[in-house]
Amino acid sequence: MVGAAEEAQLNRLENQVDNGGGGAWEYLCLVRKLKARRPDKVLKHGLSILNNPKARSNLGTEEWTLYEQVAIAAMDCQRVDIAKDCISVLSNKFPGSTRVGRLEGMLLEANGAWADAETTYRRLLEENPNDQVVQKRMIAMAKALGNISTAVEYLNKYLEIYMADQDAWRELAEIYVSLQMYKQAAYCYEELILCQPTVPLHHLAYAEVLYTMGGLENLQMAKKYYASAINFTGGKNTRALYGLCLCSVAINQITKGRNKEDKESPELQYLAAEALVKDYKEKAPAKLTLVTSTLKSMKLIS
Amino acid sequence: MAEDLVLDTAIRDWVLIPLSVVMVLIGVLRYFVSKLMRSSQLPDAKALKEGQVIIRARNLKSGANFIPSKSFRARRVYFTNEENGLLHVPKEQAQNAQAQMFSDPNMAMDMMKKNLSMLIPQSLTFAWVNFFFSGFVAAKIPFPLTQRFRAMLQNGIDLSSVDVSYVSSRSWYFLNLFGLRGFFSLILGEENAMDDTQRMMQMGGFGFDASRSLAAEKDSLDIIQHDWALPKIEHRAEQVLRKLLR
Repeated sequence: MVGAAEEAQLNRLENQVDNGGGGAWEYLCLVRKLKARRPDKVLKHGLSILNNPKARSNLGTEEWTLYEQVAIAAMDCQRVDIAKDCISVLSNKFPGSTRVGRLEGMLLEANGAWADAETTYRRLLEENPNDQVVQKRMIAMAKALGNISTAVEYLNKYLEIYMADQDAWRELAEIYVSLQMYKQAAYCYEELILCQPTVPLHHLAYAEVLYTMGGLENLQMAKKYYASAINFTGGKNTRALYGLCLCSVAINQITKGRNKEDKESPELQYLAAEALVKDYKEKAPAKLTLVTSTLKSMKLIS
Repeated sequence: MAEDLVLDTAIRDWVLIPLSVVMVLIGVLRYFVSKLMRSSQLPDAKALKEGQVIIRARNLKSGANFIPSKSFRARRVYFTNEENGLLHVPKEQAQNAQAQMFSDPNMAMDMMKKNLSMLIPQSLTFAWVNFFFSGFVAAKIPFPLTQRFRAMLQNGIDLSSVDVSYVSSRSWYFLNLFGLRGFFSLILGEENAMDDTQRMMQMGGFGFDASRSLAAEKDSLDIIQHDWALPKIEHRAEQVLRKLLR
């Protein structure tokens, strides 16, 4: 996650470098530190340093880090030729290195030689069965090939050990949602909420999974999580507002006719609808009629 | 001082400078030897997993109120049950942890290597200095010092009449041994020049016992009271929306 201040600094540096103001190396360092993904810029500025022998030798041992960074960026940009050159420089310098081995595997992936890439990764895993990066590459590759069940299997194996890795949990949650395995997805989202209790997006995603599962209990829970997403975003998240409206309508349909004793805040859905209308009025007046008619049919606004 | 000692320039040329040069060279040599002997041991899966389990249990503890109580209870059982819970450490294993660590040949080997690369050159140089340079007054520092510094600067000459600002050769050896660290970090790069005191500290700190912190996490998870934060959230959201609409 890149913080706002860091992102501003990154953009400022990027601007400076783009306009020929120098500081390319600082920019590249910052990109690496923040793990930002800006392959085109990295490729351009990294290559300009690498092609300039004087600038390159000024880096000292950092030169090889730059080769690695540029190689990855080049693969991102489908410049496999550049990546190949960088990697061959690295493998001449560090023969037998695991880190270069990973790059070679990625290069094979970029070329579409999946089977070869897999053999490379398997060899690396034999040397070090707990290599995080290689395991993640295997998962990504399985996903890219469409072997979703294999990807799930690998991910579960990975999370068995690295169970505090949020990104892996998120990936798994998304895969489960795409497979319509909502119970498992809900578990993953719970795990994400535990990791970052104040990130509204996790609450929202969890609520959506609960809403999709249906049933009175789940719907009520979904409504609460939508409410908490609204709470954390200050009511600015349209998706959460819509979700809340839909939830309350669904709950009303189920409990129709029964006595409504567990109404905690009966006005919440009306307020959400009102907030939606206001939002559309400000930002997309053209669609306002559509929204009002929908909400009217849900009997949320008069 | 009336009768200032005048040091022969030959002492400078044949004692002071060779001693310093030898100390630097030995430091560099030791760095490369320890680099050769260093074995990069891979962390084993169990240790990795224990660390991650602890992080996850802490997350569960701090974020417990944000998930429904059913989910919380399921997780708590998963972590703390007595049969195969993640945080549960069998009794006999907990006691053996320390013993295992010492019987682990890799660990012992590593310690040996560290010790060897530290101890052997040091004792050799000390013997060498003692043999060739004992009893020299090797240098004079340009400011006066109090008597308490005598033990530090005049190790090896037992004369109380010599002024404290004179440095004996053996003391010069010690000063070099401990004082060259900054110089090494300059020529060998940062972090490379680990001095001996740091090494000692590292050796002391390796006895980290994961099973103890696992048990601590288990206890604190066991006593936690789950109080779902969300029932109140609808009111809060209502207030937020009211504020927004106003």
